[in-house]
Amino acid sequence: MKNTEDEDRLRELQEAIYSDPDNYSHHYNLVRLAFQTGLFLWEKGEDTKELKEKAVEHFVISAKLNPNNSHTFQFLGHYYSRVSVDSQRASKCYQRALTLNPNDSESGEALCDLLDNEGKESLEIVVCKEASEKSPRAFWAFRRLGYLQVHQKKWSEAVQSLQHAIRGYPTCADLWEALGLAYQRLGMFTAAIKSYGRAIELENSRVFALIESGNILLTLGSFRKGVEQFRQALETSPCNIAAHYGLASGLLGLSKECVNSGAFSWGASLLEEASDIVKKSTFLAGNITCIWKLCGDIQLTYAKCLPWVDEGQKLGTNEEAFRTSIFSWKRKCHLTAIAASHSYQRALHLAPWQPNIYIDIAISVDLIYSLEERSRPESDVWQLPEKMSLGGLLLEGDNDDFWVSLGCLSDNNALKQHALVRGLQLDVSLAVAWAYLGKLYRKQGEKQLARQAFDHARSIDPSLALPWAGMSVDTHSRGCTPEEAFESCLRAVQILPLAEFQIGLGKLAFDSGQLVSSQVFAAIQQAVQHAPHCPEAHNLNGLICEARSDYESAISAYKLAQCAISTLAISAPKSHFYDVSINLARSLCQAGNALDAAQECEFLKKEGMLDSRVLQIYAISLWKLRKNDLALSVSRNLAASIPTMERTSGVVSISLICKLLYHISGQVSAITSIMKMPKELLQSSKISFIVSAINALDHSKRLESLIPSTRHVLKSYEEITGMHSLIAISKLVRHGSEESLVIQSGVNHLRKALHMYPDSSLIRNQLGHLLLSSKEWKDIHIATRCSIINPPDCPAVRGSKSGYGILGAAAVACYASSTTDQRFSFHTCKDQCMDGARALQKMQRWLHQEPWNHNARYLLLLNVLQKARKERFPWHLCITLKRLVLSALFNEEQYLKKDASHIYQKFQILLCASEISLQSGDHIDCINHATNASKLLVPDGNLFFAHLLLCRAYALQGDFPNMHKEYLKCLQLKTNHEIGWICLKLIESRHKLQIDVNKIELNFEESLKENRSSWDKWMAIFNLLQGQSSIWGHDYISAEEALAHACSLAGAESCLFLCHGAICMELARQQCGSQFLSLAVGSLTKAQEASIIPLPIVSTLLAQAEASLGSRAKWEKNLRLEWFSWPPETRPAEVYFQMHVLARQADSISDSSYVESFQSSQKWLLRAIHLNPSCLRYWRVLQKWTG
Amino acid sequence: MKLAGLKSIENAHDESVWAVTWVPATDARPALLLTGSLDETVKLWRPDELVLEGTNTGHCLGVVSVAAHPSGVIAASASLDSFVRVFDVDTNATIATLEAPPSEVWQMRFDPKGTILAVAGGGSASVKLWDTATWQLLATLAVPRPEGSRPSDRSGSGKFVLSVAWSPDGRRLACGSMDGTISIFDVARAKFLHHLEGHFMPVRSLVYSPIDERVLFSASDDAHVHMYDAEGKTLVGAMSGHASWVLSLDVSPDGAALATGSSDRTVRLWDLNMRAAVQTMSNHTDQVWGVAFRPPGGTGVRAGRLVSVSDDKSISLYDYSGR
Repeated sequence: MKNTEDEDRLRELQEAIYSDPDNYSHHYNLVRLAFQTGLFLWEKGEDTKELKEKAVEHFVISAKLNPNNSHTFQFLGHYYSRVSVDSQRASKCYQRALTLNPNDSESGEALCDLLDNEGKESLEIVVCKEASEKSPRAFWAFRRLGYLQVHQKKWSEAVQSLQHAIRGYPTCADLWEALGLAYQRLGMFTAAIKSYGRAIELENSRVFALIESGNILLTLGSFRKGVEQFRQALETSPCNIAAHYGLASGLLGLSKECVNSGAFSWGASLLEEASDIVKKSTFLAGNITCIWKLCGDIQLTYAKCLPWVDEGQKLGTNEEAFRTSIFSWKRKCHLTAIAASHSYQRALHLAPWQPNIYIDIAISVDLIYSLEERSRPESDVWQLPEKMSLGGLLLEGDNDDFWVSLGCLSDNNALKQHALVRGLQLDVSLAVAWAYLGKLYRKQGEKQLARQAFDHARSIDPSLALPWAGMSVDTHSRGCTPEEAFESCLRAVQILPLAEFQIGLGKLAFDSGQLVSSQVFAAIQQAVQHAPHCPEAHNLNGLICEARSDYESAISAYKLAQCAISTLAISAPKSHFYDVSINLARSLCQAGNALDAAQECEFLKKEGMLDSRVLQIYAISLWKLRKNDLALSVSRNLAASIPTMERTSGVVSISLICKLLYHISGQVSAITSIMKMPKELLQSSKISFIVSAINALDHSKRLESLIPSTRHVLKSYEEITGMHSLIAISKLVRHGSEESLVIQSGVNHLRKALHMYPDSSLIRNQLGHLLLSSKEWKDIHIATRCSIINPPDCPAVRGSKSGYGILGAAAVACYASSTTDQRFSFHTCKDQCMDGARALQKMQRWLHQEPWNHNARYLLLLNVLQKARKERFPWHLCITLKRLVLSALFNEEQYLKKDASHIYQKFQILLCASEISLQSGDHIDCINHATNASKLLVPDGNLFFAHLLLCRAYALQGDFPNMHKEYLKCLQLKTNHEIGWICLKLIESRHKLQIDVNKIELNFEESLKENRSSWDKWMAIFNLLQGQSSIWGHDYISAEEALAHACSLAGAESCLFLCHGAICMELARQQCGSQFLSLAVGSLTKAQEASIIPLPIVSTLLAQAEASLGSRAKWEKNLRLEWFSWPPETRPAEVYFQMHVLARQADSISDSSYVESFQSSQKWLLRAIHLNPSCLRYWRVLQKWTG
Repeated sequence: MKLAGLKSIENAHDESVWAVTWVPATDARPALLLTGSLDETVKLWRPDELVLEGTNTGHCLGVVSVAAHPSGVIAASASLDSFVRVFDVDTNATIATLEAPPSEVWQMRFDPKGTILAVAGGGSASVKLWDTATWQLLATLAVPRPEGSRPSDRSGSGKFVLSVAWSPDGRRLACGSMDGTISIFDVARAKFLHHLEGHFMPVRSLVYSPIDERVLFSASDDAHVHMYDAEGKTLVGAMSGHASWVLSLDVSPDGAALATGSSDRTVRLWDLNMRAAVQTMSNHTDQVWGVAFRPPGGTGVRAGRLVSVSDDKSISLYDYSGR
């Protein structure tokens, strides 16, 4: 079909030519068509050859007619190259085409292909260069040129050509790849990675680009990215050896990073993967040396880094299991080392002329020998490692690294020194050689030379571990402190986590007292993984765990150390074993396992190793086992050995003996034995504390004479403040009876002490605690001021009170609802109590710092409850409280021990939950919580409150029989908290439950007896209550009496005066006598004077009273006072109305200095109506006014 | 001509088997097989069932070469640490230990008369000749260094000597180097004669034709087998077909066939008249380090035998029949 069409066109064109034979375009078109059809047909048969030849004729004609058409020459070239194979003519035609149009890529490529086939590379380059010089758009030429230059390794020229070519073909992956290669060879790695990355982006199956960029990444040390590249390459080409090799070496690099940072298991697992990969590639190509060398490297690294893991099997208890575990670990290392050696040998067998493999074999053999613990005979015979390193040196004698290797591997000191010196001759700044030379000199005892060598090494390469480690030994001769040595060794360990360094670090940490340091902990954990056969590692591990108070781990570590000594290190002296046993006994004792500790001590006793340390542990563990007689006899032994001890351990022993005597035989015998002791032994702060404490408990004060002499040894700040705290407590005890303590005497002492040591948090917080415990009203506020909160990084002294706790408790303990927010109430408490909101913030901060602290959570809960109470239980606070209660109750059940204080906390939390339910109207929940609380084992005095709450709940429910039952229960339980009786009284009078007239009064007075100082206040409150109940009974006369009594008792309480004044006004209103009016004026004036902020209503009442007495000026003054006693946003309409009244008065006087004259009286009235439009009175006044 | 598998022993050694040779028959016993391996042992096998006769230990590294004295009484084994042990085949008694600097012992061959042991000297770029009577060094035949190279530069010259071969009359000695050149020496005068060019990669194995003293066969890492006129310094022929390095070769006692072992894991049999491979054995699963035809001799043994050893730890024995 196409052919017929073409033939039709052909015919048309032929006709056109006949008609116009000189028009070249006809020829051109005809031929072009014929040629194309011809080419198509030509591939099928020869029959169109004639047609072609004819076409060529037309072409030649068209070329003659128009010699500037490059296409003509291109087609001619195609004809000559493909149909009549005449490359000579073809290339001439192409060249002509190119001279006419250098951008003609088809001709250009065809010409270059022709030249390439003939092997004329230089001609090709000339053609490309010509074209590229002629036209910057001849991108084909730049591309071809770039490839050729890459081929000829002219990298920098290639980069330019390729960059230009990429402008023409920006999506050609080949070009990007070639550019990447050129950059890589020029050493421009980042640019190379980018170019390769672009090639991969264009075609993600570019294996070459992937592998080469992976190789660059490995060179640059970013192994992780490199590994990714190789993995991607392997997805496309799973048998690519270069990719396998790269992946394995990337993993090796990665694992070395891991191992150097101490992550041995991770490194080992990476190496296992690498080993699998490299084995696969050795199978693919068994005769490539470098793969076998890599295989050896991987295995050698594996053998070195494989960690020993104690799989939690309690190996310490089973020597046989421990031994098998160690042996199997060692065997695995050994086998891997042998495999590494075999891999290196294969590499050597394939390429025996490569010197570095000799060194590798030497190193692997050396590792095998060291794992076999082969003792090397001191003979003249060359050892295998030495000999193999010589092999490397024979082939490449000027390699300084080989000399260093020989120096390391040789046993012969002279040879070592010679080799290292040769290495330094070749390269004087070879830090490794200096370092090993230093080690050698140190071993030979030439400390001066060793130091110089180490210093050289360190100044050349500070990232080398050995010189740092070398600096940390022999500290005495260098004159540097243990801390400096520790720092040096720590640096060595951090550069290279080697078991020897790590064990050394552990020892230095012990000497310099840094056992709790995390770096040391990590280092020794790693040392145990790498040197499990070394008892020192286990022992140090134990010491470190013990220093971190992890006694269980310490015990198992010591047991492992014992196993290691008895099964593996036969040559270790017996004393090492005893030392470990002492450590073990001490840890056991501290972990609370007294039985095992005692057994360990008995073992040591049998071995005759009872020194003072063992005796102390023995005595304590016997005492813990309640073998008191034995413990005493041991402590007698200890006492007998005291004179031979040095001072510090003597002091420790004495204090231990004193404590034991006190606990076992009681105070008296402890005192007598202290009296018997020689005085000079008591000169120690520790003993001073013990003597003081015992003396405090002793009523006969037999030790009194000793105390001054022991106390004067107290020197440090902590000791002295601690002693003051102890004295305060002893005063509490001394002056009190059996049940009660005399808090005031303690407080007095601490106050004095605080003058001397004003910044001691111990004294301050103890004082705060004591003040809180006393039942004085004002003490609570003082407590918050004197306690201080320790910053979180400063650990609290054990047994001392937390500043937060005191603060939280004080904030809850203040009865006065002391909010400064007058929306809720007007506080009348005169003491500058801490703002409730601030206490709440502090509690939250505390809980945030110590989320595990139940006490913090508990106090926060109480503080929130307090806040809710002040704000009349708003909805959002109730929800918060419910959540807090839930979490607190959950914690209580989960974690807490069942001691009295925790049960009390739970009781309080339940009561709190019950109260919230009550306030939010959920009576059933309230009753449930309260009932739960009433079932807890708390003292009756506290249980009272649960029943009180139940009583309230039933009252609200209207369930009077139950209420009555609870009321009776309360009466039966009794409490010594005054507030409890007052509440009960309130309920009683409210619901008329009175059974026995004066039962509550009696009980109340009973509870007040203990607390004389605040008797007046409580009695006043009680009277207020009586007055209240009288008012309920409309018996205003007796109410007035009760309130007058209350006012006389509590002289400074403005509220009471206000109540009294109000009652008097009421009585006056009822016309009971004008004397009440003057009484009212008296009380209200007192109320005005007593309150620290102006109380509302007081002034209005006073104004009324004064007005009734006829004093207009006082009436006005008090009304104005009333205006100011309200906070602006809470002023009621009545106050505005009063202002209106005042303003109306003032209109006539027109004195503008008063508040009412700020606006017209009408405005005042309108504002009053605006605030309370339902009050008809205002409307009527307005009517009158306008009307 | 044809090879037929007779017996194959898997895991004959614990590790790769690198070297093999036949110990000629003595009056007391038939010819035995001697193999050396990476597992540091040398083992002695009795054909055709390949019964293990003995295991010799004592090397510290892999055994790279074994050689047997023409008398069949003594043999030598050499390991990577350049330690040569000469021992009595039947009793395994050590006769001598020859030590050389490391990297300086590679392939070993006894001369046809059995008076000299030639050791390819690796990095020393020479062949060492040891007197088998006194076990003293007789001579060192040094490969001349290329012009301009420093004498200290041992590896740079590329003259790392890997392989050695005696002409059947014992007058000539050929050695092959890492750079692909083969050097011919006159043994009697201890003199270097000339180089044979043609290979461009290490020459790992050399053997003279047993029927024609001038013809030398060489196997190289360039995957080709060459056939030289050793006296006329000319390359007579080349045989290609292995896909990877040719590691070892041996000529059949009748001089008509050549066997080669290669890194491509095959053993090939070449017809020397046609200069073409006639058979390819691919029973090994890893590269074949050694092939050896049984030397003629012994009582009542006429059949040809070929043995091959490989990295896959196995030994294979074939029956070789000429035309």
